[in-house]
Amino acid sequence: MHSALLDKIRGIVGAESVLTGVELSPYVLEGRTPAAAVFPGSVEEVSALLALASDEGIAVTPWGGGTKIAIGAPPERLGLVLGLRRLNRLLEHEPGDLTATSQAGITLDALQGRLAARGQWLSLDPAFGEQATLGGILAANASGPRRHLYGTARDLLIGVTVVAADGSVVKGGGKVVKNVAGYDLPKLYIGSFGTLGIIVEATVKLRPRPDDDRLVLTCFERLKDCGQAVRLVLASDLIPSAVDLLDGEALRGVGLAPGVETGGALLLGFDGMREQVEWQCEEARRLLAGAGPVAQRVLEAEARDAAWRSVRELGGRVFPEAAAQLRLAVLPSQVAEVIEQAGAAAQRCGLRAAFGAHAAVGIVTAVLAGGGESAQPVIAALREWRELVRAAGGHAVLERAPLAVKEQVAVWDPPGPAGRIMERIKIQLDPKGILNPGRFVGGI
Amino acid sequence: MTTLTESRRQSLGRALEGIVGKAAVLTDPQELMVYESDGLTLFRALADFVVFPTSTQQVSALVRLADAEGLPFVARGAGTGLSGGCLPTEGGLVIALSRMTRILEVDYDNQLAVVEPGLVNLHLSWAVGPRGYYYAPDPASQQACTIGGNIANNSGGPHTLKYGVTTNHVLGLEVVLPDGEVVWLGGKTRDPLGYDLTGVFVGSEGTFGIATKIVVRLLKKPQAVKTVLAAFDEIDRASEAVSAIIARGLVPAALEMIDQVTIQAVEDAFGCGYPRDAAAALLIELDGLAAGMEAQAERVVAACREAGAREVRTAKDEAERQLLWKGRKSAFGAYGRVSPAYMVMDGVIPRTKLPYVLRRVNEIVAAANLRVGNVFHAGDGNLHPNILYDPRRPGEEARVVQAGAEILKVCAEVGGSISGEHGIGLEKMDYMPFIFSPADLATMHRVKEAFNPRGLCNPGKIFPTKKSCVETGPAYRAHPIEEKGLAQRF
Ligand SMILES: Cc1cc2nc3c(=O)[nH]c(=O)nc-3n(C[C@H](O)[C@H](O)[C@H](O)COP(=O)(O)OP(=O)(O)OC[C@H]3O[C@@H](n4cnc5c(N)ncnc54)[C@H](O)[C@@H]3O)c2cc1C
Repeated sequence: MHSALLDKIRGIVGAESVLTGVELSPYVLEGRTPAAAVFPGSVEEVSALLALASDEGIAVTPWGGGTKIAIGAPPERLGLVLGLRRLNRLLEHEPGDLTATSQAGITLDALQGRLAARGQWLSLDPAFGEQATLGGILAANASGPRRHLYGTARDLLIGVTVVAADGSVVKGGGKVVKNVAGYDLPKLYIGSFGTLGIIVEATVKLRPRPDDDRLVLTCFERLKDCGQAVRLVLASDLIPSAVDLLDGEALRGVGLAPGVETGGALLLGFDGMREQVEWQCEEARRLLAGAGPVAQRVLEAEARDAAWRSVRELGGRVFPEAAAQLRLAVLPSQVAEVIEQAGAAAQRCGLRAAFGAHAAVGIVTAVLAGGGESAQPVIAALREWRELVRAAGGHAVLERAPLAVKEQVAVWDPPGPAGRIMERIKIQLDPKGILNPGRFVGGI
Repeated sequence: MTTLTESRRQSLGRALEGIVGKAAVLTDPQELMVYESDGLTLFRALADFVVFPTSTQQVSALVRLADAEGLPFVARGAGTGLSGGCLPTEGGLVIALSRMTRILEVDYDNQLAVVEPGLVNLHLSWAVGPRGYYYAPDPASQQACTIGGNIANNSGGPHTLKYGVTTNHVLGLEVVLPDGEVVWLGGKTRDPLGYDLTGVFVGSEGTFGIATKIVVRLLKKPQAVKTVLAAFDEIDRASEAVSAIIARGLVPAALEMIDQVTIQAVEDAFGCGYPRDAAAALLIELDGLAAGMEAQAERVVAACREAGAREVRTAKDEAERQLLWKGRKSAFGAYGRVSPAYMVMDGVIPRTKLPYVLRRVNEIVAAANLRVGNVFHAGDGNLHPNILYDPRRPGEEARVVQAGAEILKVCAEVGGSISGEHGIGLEKMDYMPFIFSPADLATMHRVKEAFNPRGLCNPGKIFPTKKSCVETGPAYRAHPIEEKGLAQRF
């Protein structure tokens, strides 16, 4: 990058908010170093930066907490990293409206802390809340166990302010919980991985914090039994907030079932009023006793939080060194079977595998380890997994893998005929292709 | 109608008949008139043809023909929309989906169903009810409106406070794009690959294409339900109770407000047991687990009492509960007794702004020398002021429209929205700038370009346009489904 251009950038945000040279090491992506990393302090500065980038044709990579930055194909071009961490103010929180508006660079934990002080929370629980930013969570459509009852970003985001590729500031949705005026633009930015615009502010729906919150952990001899247990729970009167499943390897890896011979466990979250939570825990025990559990525990307080944290951060915890991580979406009724087949496939390739799932919504995290120096076994296993998911009518995202693997195994499935519309949307909203070029579905 | 030459009209008619059969094409102006309006009878526009396809293939062939011929087209469900959304503003083709009503698949294990767009909303809940499931979005028109129309308008209902609106219950769509291609957006699995096209299609008011299959979530019926009626001597007190309930950490399934004008009309007509002299009443419904239900109801009662309710009553049994809901749901039918006509407004505000905005609504309507009845989704802040008037009096309808615009301006000023469930359609195109900047609107327009680049699919809606052959008022008529007593307007 020309120094004249760098000077312009410094002129916009101030020299202290621009990193260059060796300071860029935290922002190296798939072996590529950006020209600069810049940290604007206002929406106006983001806007000015994008207008400049657009004029000069510089690629821009928005960067929140960086917890999901590795998801995506290697960037076609890496110009400016645009960090949002200075845009971290909670702008409005009116408890009576159960809504809050915040700048996008606030970390989830910081936001939850502020909301908790007034008895409320944003019902999203993705991994690494201490680092992940609100904007990044929305852009990556990150979620956690409690999505089972409370939904995902698409159910909670009611308004968004975005700086478009040309620097214009665009609002979609609004600040009220019900709104059908115009197109539902917020939906478009959720899960768009920074390819359509930079989210700078978001208005979200909130919930009251529950009085009580417990986790019922039930281990079974076989994974199959877990699948059966999920079915029992869904057909019952229980209203769990989370229905997660871990296979035996995952349980051992995160140390959640010490001393128990188990092929898998069901983790049920219950929150709400004390009376409700107590009844549900008791009812869950009674119900699952019929499915032949080998162990059952109710976890509260720190033990509960630690268990959920393991579930959320499975990929980074289950093996000392994971080789790859795939996220699968299948029908809930197929989860246990798909995991069993995927486990067998990994074994055939001489690898270890562990699985966690938001079982009742059919979202599975699959982690691979082993293979030594060669990328080949990992590539072979991932190909088998992809095929398996495709045959089951689902889809998969390669969330984490070394470059050598990404060169052989696509990060995203092909989008099919709808890909045509996605491309057109991209061209309409980012005609010069400066936002995260080449990283998204269909090469967008 | 467009200005088609007679020979072109005939050749198009033959081509349409070739696709759907002779019995499924209307061309007689008398018959076409049935399709010139929707639930908002203020606007009328006549199509050149109304066609009734029975399959995705037929819809696709129709759209391909329209695209090749440069003929505008618009999907129509039950025609209960309240913003003129399904009107053929530039003539052309109305593609009526009322013969695509099948439930294609119900998968209880995965709690989903695949349905055709012409299926009537309530019929889905009826079909899955015996197994203990239901389809949550419950517009008051649910005995008549279609799931396809619900998708297009992202419709809501009284129970959307807890369970969300249509978009929260749709997983995937099979869509015929405006060039006739059939694509799936989303599907049965979650977190669809790429952009959330299902998410933007829902609420696009028929301007992105025609949905031909819809994958929806099914919910289990709750174990227990509790319904509370609270009466207040001042409307402000009722508004404050709404916020007090929310502030106590409760999320009722429904939280509705009914004002005095409405209560008296309802009591005169049906006698549902609402206190006639109350300034306002709240109808609050809790649902969920039986455990803790009593305690929650107590919290609701306490919140109402503290806000100054003069009477709080819990329905003793299902019969009393039904009676209370009847009062709420028959409000619109009851207006007929006190006024020759009324126009329903639809705006949204942050619920903490209720006291102020309700006062302003009353002022605006009084200044226009009109009367208003309020019956609405207070928990969501979704207002429905119903302005009562007499269409035979010259100029009165115009004053109603003017007062409606002022009310929406107030909604916008307090940080709200100009529509909570009825959509923009033809009615509110000119009010979009109340809440959206030129840049916001330009972005929406670009997204529309991606789906509907030639603009033939439902033209003349959402964004202001000059080219239009719509006729307006004076025109209040009760909607056919209201006349049949099937539904009331919320
Ligand atoms: C008495 C009464 C009460 C009502 N109560 C409520 C209420 O409580 N909540 C609420 O939200 N609304 C309510 N409405 C409004 C209306 O019922 C809803 O907007 C409903 O969803 C419209 O469905 P419909 O099948 O009648 O659609 P139509 O009126 O036929 O069409 C509405 C829009 O959908 C489009 N469309 C229809 N089918 C398709 C398809 N398959 N693919 C793409 N686009 C399509 C049309 O082009 C049009 O833009 C009420 C209306 C009346 C008359």
